[in-house]
Amino acid sequence: MISFRVDGHSVVPPYLQIVQQVRQALRMGVLDVGDQLPTVREVVSATAINPNTVLKAYRDLEREGLVEARVGHGTFVKSRPPGPPPGTHTRLGRSLASWVRDARDAGLDDESIESLLRVTLRAPAEEEIA
Amino acid sequence: MTWLVWRQHRIQFLVGAALLAAFAVLIVITGAQVADQYHTAQAACAAGHGCQHPGGLFLGSHAIGFLIISTLGAPALVGLFVGAPLVAAEAEAGTTQFAWMQSITRKRWLTVKIGWMLLAAAVWGGVISALVTWWEGPNNAEQLNVFDPGRFDIMGIVPVAYSLFAVALGIAAGTLLRRTLPAIAVTLAGFIAVRTLIALLLRPHYMSAVTVFYKVTSGFTPAGSYWQLAQGVVGPNGQQLAQPNNINYIDGVPASSLPGACTQVSRGAFTPPASCTQALSHFRAFLTYQPADRYWTFQGIETGIFLILAAALIAVTAVTLLRRDA
Amino acid sequence: MNPIQEAPGRALPGPAAIETSGLTKRYGKVTALSGCTVSVPEGRICALIGPNGAGKTTLLRLLAGLSRPTAGQASVNGSTPRQDPAFLADIGYLAQEIPLYRRMSAADHIRVGAHLNPRWDAESVRERLTGLKIPLDRAVGKLSGGQRAQVALALILAKRPRLLLLDEPVAALDPLARRNFLGLLADAVAAGGLTVVLSSHLVADLERVCDHLIMLASSRVQLCGDIEDLLAEHQILTGPRKDTTALERSHRVVQVTRTPRQTTMLVRLNGPVIDPAFEASDVSLEELVLGYMGQDADPALARLTTVGEEQ
Repeated sequence: MISFRVDGHSVVPPYLQIVQQVRQALRMGVLDVGDQLPTVREVVSATAINPNTVLKAYRDLEREGLVEARVGHGTFVKSRPPGPPPGTHTRLGRSLASWVRDARDAGLDDESIESLLRVTLRAPAEEEIA
Repeated sequence: MTWLVWRQHRIQFLVGAALLAAFAVLIVITGAQVADQYHTAQAACAAGHGCQHPGGLFLGSHAIGFLIISTLGAPALVGLFVGAPLVAAEAEAGTTQFAWMQSITRKRWLTVKIGWMLLAAAVWGGVISALVTWWEGPNNAEQLNVFDPGRFDIMGIVPVAYSLFAVALGIAAGTLLRRTLPAIAVTLAGFIAVRTLIALLLRPHYMSAVTVFYKVTSGFTPAGSYWQLAQGVVGPNGQQLAQPNNINYIDGVPASSLPGACTQVSRGAFTPPASCTQALSHFRAFLTYQPADRYWTFQGIETGIFLILAAALIAVTAVTLLRRDA
Repeated sequence: MNPIQEAPGRALPGPAAIETSGLTKRYGKVTALSGCTVSVPEGRICALIGPNGAGKTTLLRLLAGLSRPTAGQASVNGSTPRQDPAFLADIGYLAQEIPLYRRMSAADHIRVGAHLNPRWDAESVRERLTGLKIPLDRAVGKLSGGQRAQVALALILAKRPRLLLLDEPVAALDPLARRNFLGLLADAVAAGGLTVVLSSHLVADLERVCDHLIMLASSRVQLCGDIEDLLAEHQILTGPRKDTTALERSHRVVQVTRTPRQTTMLVRLNGPVIDPAFEASDVSLEELVLGYMGQDADPALARLTTVGEEQ
């Protein structure tokens, strides 16, 4: 069962954090089709956020077609977000971990690694525009 | 709500009950002895073995006697330790906020609390008075002094009214002052003041006193346990004579006001000369008193006064508390 | 009293749990609250924010019926606050001092509640407190401040009220206790049929758990509404130092800061912002609150919110 973490200081609004965490869990295979999402009461007890925030997140996910609410039973995963199967994420995650090890061995600190990642992420988009 | 009252005040209740029980045991045991002593003396007197004038005999030990007298203060105790903290302690601790947020109105909260405390006060006063009255039975019969101040206050029904008044005073003080210690002080001062004022200034006048004039040469003693308010001698001009301590008296008349013949009068052994008798006839003695048969009327009147005072204090408490912001 | 359904569709705004009009409270010459007109829909968790002395406690006590207004009206759960068992059964008020009988245990308090309330869920209190490892048989005076607050909240919830009025309930709690407390509150609201008004200085907590806001300052209402709507209605405009009269005419300026080169304004929007020299950015709840409290902002409040909030 997935448990959510809501960061009050993030620029990302709480409901969106939940949506993103569900999508990520689906991509990583932590959640599978047919699994039940935590009830509103469970989420709210654990994170001390407003119930309507959770409802909004679940509604958004439902609109995206990822989950479906069955009245009286709860909210269940309907389908996975489009993208490569969970295994891909795991594989890529592993190779990323080894790259990070290399980077650290080469003397980069975490801040340099993050900014390198950000620049790299932005680069292809700019190339396309150009 | 009754359960809450019990839970909050159970220590007070148990201490009070223990004190009453201890007092009762002491009184019952010693009182039985006193009654015994008394009946023995009476029997001896009746059988002609010599009446050890029981009137002069103080029955019972001095220690218990002292305890009996101190029950004069017993009603105040319930006012100080039960009445004063009732509302004040809760106001100080803020726990009224808790009680008043349960689904119970302030009126009901106050009614149940006050109701039980009044009952406790009445029981306290009543039990002590009953025990004291029973214990003092022989003394009362011999000394005929139940109507006297000090003894009137500790027997009969007035201790119940005093207790109710004390607890009502305590509750009112606690409600108005909202602090326990000042409320206790005010209750004590107020109780003493009111009791003293009423006993000294009002009680003699509940009914018009009876004044009887009689010859100085004879005596006059009203029947039973009368309450003597004043006595003296009136001269030929109708004015009351001063009776200082350091001069001689004959039948209550200063010797200086009488002819020399009177000074040889030794009562019982010598017939006074006619000039003396003549002079004495110009003087009269008087006694102002409340007759013994008014004892229960006076108890009733004083009880009524204190009950009215208690009711007024309860009304003040209720109005103050229910109108005030919580 | 339906629990929040896990079904599509925004929760429709229900009848107002609280509705006041011109509510005023004076103590002699001192005005504690003046002309307070607010509305809180059912099912909301409403934050009551304001500096000390702004009237928060006064408002809560008026709503609970603990004091009577000098002027104005209030409607709570559909009726005027008054001494009536039915009204009292539907509200729960927790004063800042956490009034409990210090020498009685939590179990004793549960029994008191059972005797004095028509609806009483004793089991819920025992469950909650056992779950938090708070001993039921120890005198409440011997528990820590945080534990006492938890006991008080659990007792209030056992009444099954429709409205909770909480006066600075987490002020004295450590961050973990605060989290547990607010989680408990949010869970109770999620279960349905409950509206909450809670006053606090700590905006970060409130932002997480509240969806409605009432802001008081100088004994008057400054803001009242859904937090989302309020945030959408306000923006921070940053731009060069220049004449802003045009802007000030079209929108309501809440607060302006001018440096030699820059002007920063917090505005309540009245339509789109047309001046291209100004860059508009979203405002956070904290900025909004501080902006409105600007005039009598207590310097201490600047520190208010970012107290070690861990996830």
